[in-house]
Amino acid sequence: MTLLKGTVGNTYTVKEIDLEQITKRRLEALGLTDGTKVTILNKKENGSIIFKVRGTRLAIGRQIADSIALKEEL
Amino acid sequence: MSDELRIGFVGNPNCGKTTLFNAYTGAKLKVANWPGVTVERKEGAARYHNHIYKLIDTPGIYSLTSYSIEEKVTRKFILEEGVDVIINIVDASSLERNLYLTLQLIELGKPVIMALNMMDIVEERGMEIDLHRLPEMLGIPVIPVSARKKSGLDILMHAASHHVKEHHKEYVVVYNDEIEEKINTISLRIKEKFKDMENVRWHAIKFLEYDEEVMKKYPMDLSDIIDRSYETDIINQKYDFIEEIIDEVLVNKATKEEKTDKIDKILTNRFLGIPIFLGIMAFVFYLTFTVGDFLKGGFDIALGLISDTVSNGLSMINASQFVTSLIIDGIIAGVGGILSFLPNIFILFLALAILEDSGYMSRVAYVMDGIMGKIGLSGKAFIPMLLGFGCSVPAIMASRTLENERDRRKTILITPFMSCSAKLPIYVLFSQMFFGAHAMMAAYSMYLIGLIMAIMVAFIMSKIGEKKENISLLIELPEYKAPNARSIGIYVWEKVKDYLIKAGTTIFIASIAVWFILNIGMTGLVDNMGDSFGAMIGKLLVPILKPAGLGLWQIGVALISGFAAKEVVVSSISVLYGINNVTSISGMNSLLELLANDGFTALNAYALMIFSLLYTPCLAAVATMKKELKSAKWTAFGIVFPLVVAWLITTLIYQIGGFILWQK
Repeated sequence: MTLLKGTVGNTYTVKEIDLEQITKRRLEALGLTDGTKVTILNKKENGSIIFKVRGTRLAIGRQIADSIALKEEL
Repeated sequence: MSDELRIGFVGNPNCGKTTLFNAYTGAKLKVANWPGVTVERKEGAARYHNHIYKLIDTPGIYSLTSYSIEEKVTRKFILEEGVDVIINIVDASSLERNLYLTLQLIELGKPVIMALNMMDIVEERGMEIDLHRLPEMLGIPVIPVSARKKSGLDILMHAASHHVKEHHKEYVVVYNDEIEEKINTISLRIKEKFKDMENVRWHAIKFLEYDEEVMKKYPMDLSDIIDRSYETDIINQKYDFIEEIIDEVLVNKATKEEKTDKIDKILTNRFLGIPIFLGIMAFVFYLTFTVGDFLKGGFDIALGLISDTVSNGLSMINASQFVTSLIIDGIIAGVGGILSFLPNIFILFLALAILEDSGYMSRVAYVMDGIMGKIGLSGKAFIPMLLGFGCSVPAIMASRTLENERDRRKTILITPFMSCSAKLPIYVLFSQMFFGAHAMMAAYSMYLIGLIMAIMVAFIMSKIGEKKENISLLIELPEYKAPNARSIGIYVWEKVKDYLIKAGTTIFIASIAVWFILNIGMTGLVDNMGDSFGAMIGKLLVPILKPAGLGLWQIGVALISGFAAKEVVVSSISVLYGINNVTSISGMNSLLELLANDGFTALNAYALMIFSLLYTPCLAAVATMKKELKSAKWTAFGIVFPLVVAWLITTLIYQIGGFILWQK
């Protein structure tokens, strides 16, 4: 599953980020690397998501949200 | 060593670099609470203990890679322009993320000092940062400061001046054996080939990351050592180290829901987000018109007094009719009329300053992301558009925060359609004269039409545009903060000052120029303005502007002069009709009468408002466009296209409006 399918209020672990280099590096600089924990704070029907990673709130659009693969919860 | 120490302020976006810079240098650079306010490097000087320090404020960056414009600018500045000390400003409330850049800065090998800002937020959340362990783990001095409250400033400067001599180690992060071994081998090769290179370790790491700039600058064949890009490994290991630091240094990690998250539940709510935003903007303009107009009354009285006094004074000293007319009908009518709109402008910028300082701007980007996505832009592009309600010049510059070139260009071209504060005098004057009780609705509609035009143009551009690129939103949402009186004071004062300077320069000169072309003709000084050079020029435009309901030569002259600055449309009309108290009731009545005599109705007034809203932006905005677009072709487009759009839309509305009225 990807971040796009996540539920508001839940915390997930990032498995893989599948984006072109530039955006991927930007996200990594912001602390979003493989294995990081993210908490979804807000979500809109168009797919934009607000989430928290390493104490920082980020807003991302649908395309990015759909490219961040999460580990399935146990 | 020279006495002058060059200190670079480097840090993440929105961590308080500019606030700190202002505190030291007494500069009044704009600060606000959204990432990307500072887009250009600024220098200033500070004096401490008989030393002169040269301070350099840089745009915020998250990393020292070279993927974005700001990163390239800041990195080049640190590497090539002889910075003696780097002050790394860190937002303590986002310590974990901020440390990533810190580690990179330390690796660079230059002296680094950390200024730990926003400790109050950390304390408010019930957390603590171990100020002994943090410098120990990083190997650099850490000084807590408050940029807003101006505390810790002396200690920071003191530390900076001492730290130049004592160098910290560049081994802050120790990578795993595989990478460390490669770094060592590459370092040896570099030392062989480029003997003068400083910070060899940093360059070796950059080679491992496949850093384009470094590989281009120092061409070397390292293919036997580097078989792939180690960038991801290096990033991950840096973050592993950061996690270790956070575990040891941060006490009482926050568990309770933060204030910001509570506010966000409402402001970014999936259903309420857009209505709340529209409500806020409607309220901003409501205040601009009501409170602004209320205050304007006082200005008008003062202006009337000045005009009378000057007029009496001039007749007392027996000034010639020529001079009297130039001063009263040219300068006072032109400049004075504009000054009386200062209260409206003040209220508008005050409201925008509060919005920008609160942290709401990034939320607007999120809230508008859906709509912006439909026109092929990310929600982030809405920030420049929103700033366009104030002034197109900073708004166009703010488009630098957009990642890709095509989005930037599109945003730059549509931003001038947003109704800027300079167009406000035109709406206030004409809507009050012609729309009476509905004046505010008429003025409101301008903001709406401007916004709709911007969106429509972007939509059409996205349909005829080239291949689809990634337009996804990516923006940091800062903590909400109670607006800071000092930041807002600086912001608003700078805008008011700009307005006064504009009134004293551009509008002053334009008013005189307009007076001259209206009083001089083929025969020298003319008695009838209709024979002047101005009238001749204006009359050329009449056939073109007639279908748009603007077929008066006076309007033609006013619109041409409006290229200098949009307020000049109003000042020119005052000069054209010889009204020197255009915003007072009596002034409006006489202007209304004169216009009515020429067959100018409410519909024509509305046409003038729309044309002024949409046509070519002022000179200052065009100059900024040229600088930011770096293309003569697109700048020309930015000049001609709005002119065509303005004519088409105004003609359309005028003709349809005329048809409906005629039907009645």
